[in-house]
Amino acid sequence: MGCFVFKPNTKKKKTSSLNDHFTHGCKGAETSDIRFRLFHDLWNKTKTDIEILQDELNKKVLDSLLDFTRKCSITRQHSNWASQMRASEIPTAALMLGVNVPDHDMTFQSLSELLQQSVTPHVVSVQAKECAGKLIHNMEKRVLERLMDTLVAAADDEEEEEIEAAALQQSDTPVHRSVHCSLSVLCEWYNTQTKVGPKSSTPGKKRSSPSKDQYPPVVIIFKDLEAFNQKVLQDFILICSRYVERLPLMFIFGIATSPSTIQHMLPHSVSSLLCIELFQSLSCTHHLATVIDKLILTPKFPFKLSGKVMQVLISLFLYHDFSVRNFIKGVQLALLEHFHSQPLSVLCCKKKEALRNLAQLSHGDLERIRQLPSFTRYTGHWSKFKILCGQKCLHALTSSLPRYPLGKQIRELHLICLEKNVWETEDYQSAMKLLKMLAKDELIALLQKCTEILQPIKSKMMKSAFVQLEDMLNKFKQLDGEMGEASSLTSPLKNFQKKTDLFQLQKALLEMNESRRSKKQSPYENLRSDVLEFIDNLVKSHLPPPESQTLNEVCYYSSSSSVRRHLNATPRTSIQAALSSPYYYLPNESLQTDDGSVSNAAPDICIVHKLHLECGRLINLYDWMQAYSTVVSAAEGNDPDSDNFGKFSSARFIRAVSELEFLGFIKSTKQKTDHVARLTWGGC
Amino acid sequence: MSSSPLPPPLQQQRHPGYEEERLRRVAEQLPCREVQAGMLLSLMGEPQQYSLPCIFIYGHRASGKSYVVNVLLKELELPHATISCAECITAALLFEQVLLALFGGDAAATLPRYPSLSDFVRIYRHHRSRAPAEQTRYIVLEKAELLRDMDANLLSVLVRLQELVEDNLTVLLLSELVWDTFRPNTGCLEPLPLHFPDYTKAELHQILSRDRHPSYSADLYASYIHILLGIFYAVCRDLRELRHLAALNFTKFCEPVTEGKAKESDTHKLWRNIEPHLKKAMQTVYLREVSSLEWEKMQQVETETGPLRGLSAHTHVELPFYSKFLLIAAYLASYNPARTDKRFFVKHHGKIKKTKFLKKNEKTSNHLLGPKPFPLDRLLAIFYSVVDSRVAPTASIFSQISSLVTLQLLTQVSHVDQLDAPKYKCAVSMDFICAVSRTVNFDIIKYLYDFL
Amino acid sequence: MSKRKAKGASKPIGECISQLQKCLRERLCHNRIPSQLEASEAQHKHLLGLLQRTANNGESNSVLIIGPRGSGKTALLKCVLRDLLQEKEVQKNLLQVHLNGLLQTDDRIALKEITRQLNLENVVGDKVFGSFAENLVFLLEALKKGDRSTTRPVLFVLDEFDLFAHHKNQTLLYNLLDVSQSAQAPVAVVGLTCRLDVLELLEKRVKSRFSHRQIHLLSTLSFTQYLEQVASQLSLPDDFPDREFALDWNSSMRRFCEDKSVEGILQRHFNSSKDFCSLHMLLMLCLSRISTVNPTIKPADILEASRLCFSDAKSNMLHGLSILELCLVIAMKHLNDVYEGEPFNFQMVHNEFKKFLQRKSSSVYNFEQPVVMKAFEHLQQLELIRPVDGSSAKTQREYQLMNLALDSSQIIEALHKYPQCPTDIKQWGMSAFG
Repeated sequence: MGCFVFKPNTKKKKTSSLNDHFTHGCKGAETSDIRFRLFHDLWNKTKTDIEILQDELNKKVLDSLLDFTRKCSITRQHSNWASQMRASEIPTAALMLGVNVPDHDMTFQSLSELLQQSVTPHVVSVQAKECAGKLIHNMEKRVLERLMDTLVAAADDEEEEEIEAAALQQSDTPVHRSVHCSLSVLCEWYNTQTKVGPKSSTPGKKRSSPSKDQYPPVVIIFKDLEAFNQKVLQDFILICSRYVERLPLMFIFGIATSPSTIQHMLPHSVSSLLCIELFQSLSCTHHLATVIDKLILTPKFPFKLSGKVMQVLISLFLYHDFSVRNFIKGVQLALLEHFHSQPLSVLCCKKKEALRNLAQLSHGDLERIRQLPSFTRYTGHWSKFKILCGQKCLHALTSSLPRYPLGKQIRELHLICLEKNVWETEDYQSAMKLLKMLAKDELIALLQKCTEILQPIKSKMMKSAFVQLEDMLNKFKQLDGEMGEASSLTSPLKNFQKKTDLFQLQKALLEMNESRRSKKQSPYENLRSDVLEFIDNLVKSHLPPPESQTLNEVCYYSSSSSVRRHLNATPRTSIQAALSSPYYYLPNESLQTDDGSVSNAAPDICIVHKLHLECGRLINLYDWMQAYSTVVSAAEGNDPDSDNFGKFSSARFIRAVSELEFLGFIKSTKQKTDHVARLTWGGC
Repeated sequence: MSSSPLPPPLQQQRHPGYEEERLRRVAEQLPCREVQAGMLLSLMGEPQQYSLPCIFIYGHRASGKSYVVNVLLKELELPHATISCAECITAALLFEQVLLALFGGDAAATLPRYPSLSDFVRIYRHHRSRAPAEQTRYIVLEKAELLRDMDANLLSVLVRLQELVEDNLTVLLLSELVWDTFRPNTGCLEPLPLHFPDYTKAELHQILSRDRHPSYSADLYASYIHILLGIFYAVCRDLRELRHLAALNFTKFCEPVTEGKAKESDTHKLWRNIEPHLKKAMQTVYLREVSSLEWEKMQQVETETGPLRGLSAHTHVELPFYSKFLLIAAYLASYNPARTDKRFFVKHHGKIKKTKFLKKNEKTSNHLLGPKPFPLDRLLAIFYSVVDSRVAPTASIFSQISSLVTLQLLTQVSHVDQLDAPKYKCAVSMDFICAVSRTVNFDIIKYLYDFL
Repeated sequence: MSKRKAKGASKPIGECISQLQKCLRERLCHNRIPSQLEASEAQHKHLLGLLQRTANNGESNSVLIIGPRGSGKTALLKCVLRDLLQEKEVQKNLLQVHLNGLLQTDDRIALKEITRQLNLENVVGDKVFGSFAENLVFLLEALKKGDRSTTRPVLFVLDEFDLFAHHKNQTLLYNLLDVSQSAQAPVAVVGLTCRLDVLELLEKRVKSRFSHRQIHLLSTLSFTQYLEQVASQLSLPDDFPDREFALDWNSSMRRFCEDKSVEGILQRHFNSSKDFCSLHMLLMLCLSRISTVNPTIKPADILEASRLCFSDAKSNMLHGLSILELCLVIAMKHLNDVYEGEPFNFQMVHNEFKKFLQRKSSSVYNFEQPVVMKAFEHLQQLELIRPVDGSSAKTQREYQLMNLALDSSQIIEALHKYPQCPTDIKQWGMSAFG
């Protein structure tokens, strides 16, 4: 969606000027360049990881797309009785990408690359805004241009000649000079291409392409189908369908909303020319979940986001745009801000490096550390690992419980943990209660998961925890041997899965407790309570909120306000702020005022705005100006009676008023002569 | 002509100047179109004789207009240029192709970059004088209705092109529309209208039966076609569509035969087998809800996986939270009269009966008349009142609106570059919006004026 | 043409027939100039006189030939020119420039064309001219002959004269007429147009320079003349190769024209329009049926031909609609009757249709909405219904307002003609209100 089309300009970090920019005005300048380097490395690492990750995520759908194209081109070449009837249809892949349009770019990028590597050299992708206009010329031009661009110099504003040139150059067969670009030109070009054979095709990115079939399809990718002009699209398809026998065309529609838009955009007479296949790419929420999992909840990166910042970013994602890309941008921003504003971020890196940097710390830095609120005792390093895998375990245990007391997604749990002591929340309590009622097999399965999570972790505390869990599991196993009846009692949770009403659930729990008190505990149950005890302790010891931890400032970035200010701008309020308290933007002492009032020395528009707040719906321009000129003259210190009074002020006033009108605070009205209408409510 | 008893065969006495052999070949290529072909041929006369300056051939889609013409011209090897106006997006392109086909590449090359009609005629005359026609030249223009949008005079020039270029030339205009929709307001030379009537059911049957499956007997296929027509004829008479459907469903039809459950003879059984299947096809393949590929796959696997979901079946769109509410607000704004907003969105409005603000011209529901445009501020006002939490008017809220427009969930009515007070319409269907509001559990029906 | 004879000497007859075809086709299709125009003797004399004076005495003139389409304006002019060019002197002297409003769509193109037709391209070379007038005058100057001091007379023929009036500032017309006024060069400007109000199109300065000579071809021709016209059009000339064939062909044609049924048909045509083009079309249709199998035009032929000419295209198209589409058309008709011609959208039409289905409780025709939509779209493609506003992209398809481009009489007629139309639908169509 448009809101993600906003692309933060990617800054090249290599440039020294940028470095200066970074160091300029950031606290603790002496370590700034180290921090800049740290930031730089960290970010690059993150970026590459994310790219790899996203490629994996897209892999499935892309592969199926490739298969589709291959299949189509093959069936076209040797067709049986039934598929002859389909010969007139243009094979079309409708690729569902979800509404997060800017995230699509990368998908299409990799898609067209893959296509060019494995299927066909002839791939062209067009965007709606390139084919603007009511007429079809643009689109045709673009397509031809791009396709032949792979062979000839880029076509400039005189595409047509270029294309002819291309057609002429490419074709060793005598081809008549065509005055206009049309698909027939493309046909000739294609024929010459295939006749020559892709192997000996002119140098370019295509030489690498392994040409398995003699007639590779010509794939046209429509990046954003919805944005295209319907008429143009229809005409284009109609024209293409006339050539489909001679030219193995193939479309790929990038669709943001839903397949039904095809039916909305194309009348049946047109859609009957297509043979549409659906392809679903993974949902952006899932995408985000993976990204968070791999990016935030990993010990690999020392840098961490505090609960609030996390909250801001996620709510931005969920409420406004579904754009993972923007989320990552947000993380990048937070990273930058962190290294920029927090001198001690010099320690925010791998442990060894951190120690080295620590050695170089200046006295001032140490002072700062001492001043840190969290500085009580200096422990060598912090327990990121524990927190993370602790969360993972807890999530593994609770995520399958009915009504997800601790959240379905791990990020929710993560947020809770960041906020406060998780074990004090009643959600946690209820989760524990639920766990207490788990049947054996379920519990074992969950524990298994935990152990798997704990397994790879090096830290010794974790090792010990892991060992304990292991032998508890073994105990369960033995239990299995001696008494089979334990397994017979099946989980009462089963039937909770259905009833979703929380109240009922609680009631049921109470009953359960009653019943359990009544009958004596089976060994299994004893064991179970032990395990839960153990887990509870584990949680208590490992999942304190980061604020309580030593030196959390070093690696936790917590100023959510600045992030919000940067990523979710509110033009209206900022205008208001600028007008009501100009000092906020113009740090000029004369503008500073203790109470909310505006000083006389403020810019005209501020004064005018201030004055207009005192008026009703209709403002008498003359009175307004009088008030204004008194204020101004008071500021300039000349008395209202002097003759040259209000000479300039009237002009300035008019300008200020028109500015206000431009900003949409007032508008001219017919209701009353020399009055203007207010468009805002309230006042002072 | 359709009423004339039995079609005269294309024979040499009737159409002198053409070889018997060719005529025979033409005849067998044109089943059920002998009358039209004969008519056309006799109008064309002998190759070197003059013919009418312009003939306007009209008839429904796939009634064999361009097919007949092209077969005649190709088989009889007459000099001709066949051009689809759909391709020729500019008149220049059209000129180029005509000259190319009639006089070869160098003629086309002499056209200036942006040729005027005058240039075209001049160049034509020039080449005509170099190579005078010993046979009538033909210019065939398919989808001629598009000529109307091209160049003001183009049509009236083409109609009397023969006279203008002084050549033995005939222009054939092919179209699905009637000539009345073509006539320029100052009128022009009237072409001879020639109607290609639609195929009768019998003819359709005959033609469709021709492309039978190689590995099955002809009359099995014929009976199959009979059943097919029985179901689809009422809806669709387009030969191409029918052929498409026939091809797609045949495997399914002769499944019992291949499996040995039924013999080719017992048609009733076969009918019972195929009939519901074809009914389903009407909702799916016929509307291209399901692509032919998927349809075939689905036949092969043959698992009754409920009603297969077509394109418009999945309408579900994942939207950001606020976008959903914006969309809901837009829907309300475009289907409720503005004056009812007070009643819906203001707290403690007195009980207002519907009848109170029911105007007499509002008997018909707004869902019959379609969405009405609404200004931006109304949208936002409703938005803020339906969204329960406080929302800051951030930039991204506004950009979401424009995004919804690009996604065609909203349409901007006012002109794009009108910045102040833009007007929008909601472009989503009732059940779509219901689905959306369910996800944010907002009971939209309560807020719709039509359902009060 | 007894059968025996036709069979006996089929070969020569084949010859004759093809000769006949050749001759008559040239006349009917290629409007070869008839030997003499009976209808417009006076106009012919008048125009000829004018042009002769220009050609011989070097006197400038301007004249408009006005008449409805197919009333023989071009034919008249051609005749006159032919007669004019029989004089050696004129042939040597007179230059002709033929312009057509359809082709020369603006004055720049027109000027280029003039230059070309006077073949002065090389003379002009790449000169640049201040104004159009300069350019034109230069061209005319360039026509000065070496020995004589006067320039050669030039005849400008402006076909579709009214279109030239739409050019910017009517520069071409202004200058041509101006030249024809001032005696700088002998120029005759002949305009052909079918618009009777053509003078209203001219600007004052242009009009004032026009001689206001008008030759009207408002065909005053009576039915008897019309019949003669037919006969003469069909009769073979004396220089026809096979003398005797020509004779009995002509006699048969005479008999043909006297036939009562034929006369009736021709009368019908005469009443509908007198113009020669449609007549030619009719005769051409008859002629096209001539072959060795039926070597002469029979009344049946012309009957068939006129049926073809008069057939209503729209009802032809309605005949080819599917039942469903027909039902929609009927529903629209009813909507039109109820809301007296208010535009409707798909939803309304579908509603109307559904109402009908409910009344007749048989579930033969209740199709899913998309199927109906497809039919609706097809009707729109056929332009049997037209969208009200051009902004088709803006509104959803089912809500776009439409107008029906058929009147109920056509629909009723179509219903009658429709092959095996179900009776209930027929009744529904006939019924006064849905």
